[in-house]
Amino acid sequence: MADFLSQYSIQRWLEMCPQGYLEDTVYGHEEGLAEPDDIMGDEDLRVASIALTVQLIAGERCALAASSGLVNAAPDDASKTFLATQTLDEARHVEIFTKRLVDLGVRKEDVNSTVDELANPNLVKFAEVLLEKVADGDFIAGVVGQNIVLEGMAFSVFELLEATSKDLNPKFAQTLSGTIADERRHVGFGENRIGSLIREHPERREDIERMQSEMTYHMLATFADVFSASGDSMDRGRQLAADHGELDGADMKWHGTDLATASTEDMEAVLANTVLGEFKTRLGRIGLEYRSPKVPA
Amino acid sequence: MRPRPDRDAEPHLLAEEDFLREVHSFDFWFEAVSGYLEEQPFGHDPDLVETPMDDVARDSLITTLCNYCVGETAALEASSGLVRLAPNHHSRVFLATQVVDEARHLEVFMRRLEDLGVEDPEAEIDRRANQGLEDFRSRLLELVDRGDWDAAVFAQNVLLESMEDTVFRFHEQSADEITRQVLVGVVADERRHLGFGENDLGRRLAHDPSGRRRLAEVRAELDPLVLGSFEGVYRDLGIARQDQPELGRHYLDAVERLGLTA
Amino acid sequence: MNETTLDTAESSIVTSSADAAPRRTFELDDTGFKEVPKRWRKFYRHWQGAGDELAPNEVICPVCKVVIRSHREFRPGDRVYCMPCMSRLVVVERPDGRLEADVLY
Repeated sequence: MADFLSQYSIQRWLEMCPQGYLEDTVYGHEEGLAEPDDIMGDEDLRVASIALTVQLIAGERCALAASSGLVNAAPDDASKTFLATQTLDEARHVEIFTKRLVDLGVRKEDVNSTVDELANPNLVKFAEVLLEKVADGDFIAGVVGQNIVLEGMAFSVFELLEATSKDLNPKFAQTLSGTIADERRHVGFGENRIGSLIREHPERREDIERMQSEMTYHMLATFADVFSASGDSMDRGRQLAADHGELDGADMKWHGTDLATASTEDMEAVLANTVLGEFKTRLGRIGLEYRSPKVPA
Repeated sequence: MRPRPDRDAEPHLLAEEDFLREVHSFDFWFEAVSGYLEEQPFGHDPDLVETPMDDVARDSLITTLCNYCVGETAALEASSGLVRLAPNHHSRVFLATQVVDEARHLEVFMRRLEDLGVEDPEAEIDRRANQGLEDFRSRLLELVDRGDWDAAVFAQNVLLESMEDTVFRFHEQSADEITRQVLVGVVADERRHLGFGENDLGRRLAHDPSGRRRLAEVRAELDPLVLGSFEGVYRDLGIARQDQPELGRHYLDAVERLGLTA
Repeated sequence: MNETTLDTAESSIVTSSADAAPRRTFELDDTGFKEVPKRWRKFYRHWQGAGDELAPNEVICPVCKVVIRSHREFRPGDRVYCMPCMSRLVVVERPDGRLEADVLY
């Protein structure tokens, strides 16, 4: 265990992130990049982008609260150290997505009220389930909820968003790319650290699988809400991009689906299937069984 | 989009809001630490060789570093707990940077213990921990657990950080070169922490002076635990009383500025 | 650090001084202080302790003991920022004529 954890040292983190893929970036992207005119010049698209960014902020705020809260509950110094780096990663994510909200025209003093108003209620419940475990000092459940379920979801969501933004919004895509690089470490730690703890504490499986099922329910409900509300703006964005020739030659394939032409239902399906597939694989590797939510969302 | 400050601008010309945005941001933190940690893996020049040290000096240094680790662990656990209590976004981001700073301090001190021949640093820290410092750690975490932001920030970022700052600077002057370089990097971080603590509390107390009396009580309870512990560090370093810097002076200056002397 | 003539283009920088005499301006060199991002480094330096005489464009931060510098000669009432410890300060004149900085909360 000690050898595996040594790769998550602060030293290594410094070399990988501030001195690595984040070097020469400003708020996660090249200096000088801006939100595209297609978004800033179209009120519907700008409002839709704000709503989407709010969900990212809500998720990252939850991750920040959870990872910082888990430092105290960690049973060893190496895990505390890793979670300290994760805390800062999550704070950075909150910062860069909050910055995007301001770039999209939300006044700084209105950021919190905008997040409160637009955060999806199901995403808020998803966070509450996790933060209850963290507040109880439950390290195993907290890490599964945070580093497998939450991070697993975020990883796929960010990948999908990056695939749709790469050609149309390089600023947002670069921001997401750095975030994905961080999430890779987080899911890796979750799997590697928790696997041995689950083996040592098989009696915890039932409770943790129940938590996973509850979080999955709220996650799928969030996806359903977000995608069903975004059909018009997605069509509008595609139309504008096509009018400006931005889709010519654009590579927007993700897990076999062409995101440039897929319907919102198709996009929701590919995202949900990808996330659930990842959950099953990752949970299986650490000795937990994926549990479907009680009510199909 | 709000423009970043001009590259040649005088910092003192920034609007207060822009100054706080700048210094509490992740970008500021990582550009700052890159400046003094780059090419210093684990806090020191990797080509340095160990200064010869007799057994007594080595043993004293190990005890000292073990107690530094107790202080840093307390700071790591407390600062991570404070993230959720932070009253605004900038404080939250700042505390997240402090969490990783504290974890780095713990890491570099533990690595130094390994360099000095300690096989199991965690066990050695448990064996050599000063009881007063352990009591302080428990008390600090109680303040965090009950969500008392003002008291916890005072205990951690003013009291503990001021003491560490004084002791580490003093230790730098007599330390072997590897330990000295490690301490220099840690002190550079502490500057941010104690500045954040004093300024945050100062602003809050300026708005609500009634908080002073309560913090003065917290101070009266915690002072002896920390002062006594760090006096023990001086003893471990073999420093005669007349040669010791006045441990509390820097801290008492801060307490006076905050009006907590009553 | 090189003393230069007053740069009138910058004369509006400090407005709070009661003294109308022209201020001297200074070019700032990087002194090796690395605890803030590169673009701010020349505005700070390590204090060398007793015997380290401060220039007219320098004051010590009482919180973290770093020397804060400016392109301009300081006058009482000037606002300065200590970025290494994130403090906001105001320059004050002590009875003996020394300029120091007080923290503004």
